[in-house]
Amino acid sequence: MSDPQGNDGDGFTALSYIVAGLLLYGGLGWLGDHWLGTGFLLPIGLVVGVGLGVFLVIKRFGAKS
Amino acid sequence: MGPAAFGLIPLEGSAPPEFGVQAFDSRPLFPSSVWTACHGEGSLPASCAEASSTWTDVWFTNHIAQAVIAAVAVIVFWLVVVWRPKVIPGKRQFVGEYLYDMIRNGVARDIIGRDYQKYVPYLLALFTFILVNNLFGQTFLFMFPTFSKIGFAWGLAGASWILYNAAGIKRHGLAGYFKNMTVPHGVPAPLLILVAPLEFISNFITRPLTLGLRLFANLFAGHLVVMVFVVGGSWLLLATSASSAGYSPIWNVAGGLALLLSFFVFAIELLVACLQAYIFTVLTAQYVSSSLSEAH
Repeated sequence: MSDPQGNDGDGFTALSYIVAGLLLYGGLGWLGDHWLGTGFLLPIGLVVGVGLGVFLVIKRFGAKS
Repeated sequence: MGPAAFGLIPLEGSAPPEFGVQAFDSRPLFPSSVWTACHGEGSLPASCAEASSTWTDVWFTNHIAQAVIAAVAVIVFWLVVVWRPKVIPGKRQFVGEYLYDMIRNGVARDIIGRDYQKYVPYLLALFTFILVNNLFGQTFLFMFPTFSKIGFAWGLAGASWILYNAAGIKRHGLAGYFKNMTVPHGVPAPLLILVAPLEFISNFITRPLTLGLRLFANLFAGHLVVMVFVVGGSWLLLATSASSAGYSPIWNVAGGLALLLSFFVFAIELLVACLQAYIFTVLTAQYVSSSLSEAH
């Protein structure tokens, strides 16, 4: 079960970035929509959040391999 | 009724008509008279809506008893295993050394690296405690994995959260650690404003959340599937045209089949129990390692 490089948890770290991006910027978008009465900020926030999450994953794990 | 005839689920839930998600409810070990009055059969007193339990009903329950039994079992196990060690290990010592070696070398040393020794006791205790609690889901007398109650999982996730933050603060100081955990390496300044909150949420909020949820969800779902196969299967097996409307003999066949397949489900649950204990330990070690590292 244990793998020699000891990076069993990397997948979960990556997932954690994406989830954090969705929650934070999706949440901000939702709040914006809620207060301004618009409908386009939530999807934009979600896309931006995932984008930034992926960016962080690449920053963190891209250089290793 | 059917399910009662099998008696497979003694320590959990209550009378057969309530089998379902209610089977996950904790029962007080020493129920107060208020609790007994409000959880009995038939019509309940009107006052039950508000305070229908005392603090002993809330704190001395079968599931908390399970967790305490598991903790005592883990302590006794390690005391027995290290009692009078010999140069050539016997069976008893071999089992202990095998487990110890797996966590010490396979998890702590490989993942944390330098200065891993002081985290070994916590990781080892964590692994064995979760493992014993998970295996309670397949053990008669208990038949309930403690961590399918989410509060227990939050407790452990909180303990690991405190550990990796304390380790980081001790190594880098409060400001240094905070900077390490929020400012990713090699990101241009304008993007930092967008990315730093993400890094913060990822490291301080989603980490413990996913840690606790993963353990809870795996065991809750697994136990629910076991319940469906065993309780539903035995209900179908014992159904008759007198007891239920729309009865057909296929029910009995399907019920028997479900009971047979439940052994397969139990086998999968055995795997999940070990795997989740291992994953929780590995992730805790991973988090400690990332708090200790200079920059990532």
